[in-house]
Amino acid sequence: MGSVLSLRDIRHRRGGRDVLEIERLDLAAGERLAVLGPNGAGKTTLLHLVAGLEPPSAGTVEIDGMRTVHADAELRRRIGYATQRAGLLSTSVRRNVELPLRWRGAGRAARSAAADAALRRLGVGHLADRPAAALSGGEAQRVSLARALALEPGLLLLDEPAAGLDAEARRSFLDDLAALLADRSITVVHVSHRADEALRLADRVAVLVEGAVRQLGEPGRVLREPSDGTVARLLGYDNVVPAVVAPGGEVLIGGRPCGLRSDGPPGAVTVAAWGSALRLAAPGAGALEATVEHVAPGAGCWEVVLAGEPPLRAHLPVPEPPPQPGERRAVRLDPELATLIP
Amino acid sequence: MDPVHEVLGRSALVSLSATAIALVVGVPLGTWLALARLRGRRLLATFLNTGMAVPTVVVGLLVALLLWRSGPLGNLGLIYTLRGMVVAQVLIATPLIAGITMAGLQALPPELTDQLRALGANRRQLVIRLWLEARVPLLAAAMAGFGHAISEVGAATIVGGNIHGQTQVMTTSIVEQVGRGEFGDALVYAGVLLALAFAINALLTSVQQRAASWARS
Repeated sequence: MGSVLSLRDIRHRRGGRDVLEIERLDLAAGERLAVLGPNGAGKTTLLHLVAGLEPPSAGTVEIDGMRTVHADAELRRRIGYATQRAGLLSTSVRRNVELPLRWRGAGRAARSAAADAALRRLGVGHLADRPAAALSGGEAQRVSLARALALEPGLLLLDEPAAGLDAEARRSFLDDLAALLADRSITVVHVSHRADEALRLADRVAVLVEGAVRQLGEPGRVLREPSDGTVARLLGYDNVVPAVVAPGGEVLIGGRPCGLRSDGPPGAVTVAAWGSALRLAAPGAGALEATVEHVAPGAGCWEVVLAGEPPLRAHLPVPEPPPQPGERRAVRLDPELATLIP
Repeated sequence: MDPVHEVLGRSALVSLSATAIALVVGVPLGTWLALARLRGRRLLATFLNTGMAVPTVVVGLLVALLLWRSGPLGNLGLIYTLRGMVVAQVLIATPLIAGITMAGLQALPPELTDQLRALGANRRQLVIRLWLEARVPLLAAAMAGFGHAISEVGAATIVGGNIHGQTQVMTTSIVEQVGRGEFGDALVYAGVLLALAFAINALLTSVQQRAASWARS
């Protein structure tokens, strides 16, 4: 059964400055929260407070109604924690997984069975007798996760566990993690600076910027309706640009119509658009225009950098011949793939 | 002159006892300095590092002043005894062991302590695990402490008095023989002393390198 997590009036200072300020954050048992934020936003600090590794300067963290207290090993034992660096001990893989179980008083047979099962679930059962130092980065992260899951924790804290892996290893690791969590009711807090990682496992996402929760909500909604430009950039929008809603509702970028309309009041807005929202055509009178600066093959598309005011990034379908650098193009945005931020 | 095996046995007894006690004191001291969040840690570390460089003859002088019959600890009757020599050698070896322990623990990945605590380690389990992770430098600390203790002559002479049959050890005996111009005997004693140091360090090095290669392989 997953743990219930509750943070109230958290304010944490370090080095004379506030590094985290969260008025209220609650997780139901079995809920999965992704915390998305740039480096230095306070994500790891948040996990440290939840894990009881640091006491908050003010406020309370409760797990299953019990307040976490600095150095309270008993409460920490409800928690599994996997970090960006696998942090394996210089002993065998099996002993790495068994050791925290021993600290919890598990007998030899129970430890061995739990470690073997956890390692097998993560696909690294065959590495059990190897020295941990001999593992690759991906294998080490799997062992680190196996170590956390072998504890059958009520609360699993994941601190960018796939950050050090290459694209293929990351995809495979996250696939397996999602499959493992699918049939468990563990409460999860997963922090990442990558939206694709963070949103993947989450029931809700909290966007953390400069120590404060900038937006909290269901992933699809946050993705569709970022609360501001910073959140949009963190979510991976390729274009986050200032715009103006004209009195007729037409949205102007750099004073030119871009193909979007707004029902809102006239005034300044921000346009957030995926690269695939941009449609390029022959220049036309009055349209938003830009000059092709750079074209490169990307993941399943041509990545086109457009010089202009503001500069834009387009992802064009591979089957079509890409524009050439120096060419002038009219730019329109697909309303389905762009959003307006008031 | 005492037989060489008797002096050798006395040297080994004094220095191994002193090293063992210095490990019991120095390893926790170094651990505390490495892990504790305290003000003035840098100053304490500086004192510790200075302690590594204090000449053994100075340590001997201070211990002798303390243990002298009219000194503050004179009633213990330790001056010119093997136990008094052990006290002096403990003071010589402890800063070295504590300093190397501190450095060894501080060289571990900084997030390791938090990670072990997050996995549920209590304070005792945490410290034991960190010692195991730092086993290679800790064994180096033991070797350095023993080497420093068995090779020193200043404190052994002042505190032990080089009394034949009682407190004469290999180093003080060599000094005495050289003083008498008996270089041949001095060389034999020096060779035996080197052999003892080699044997003990070979044992510790074997354990250390096995630990290191297991961690790497």
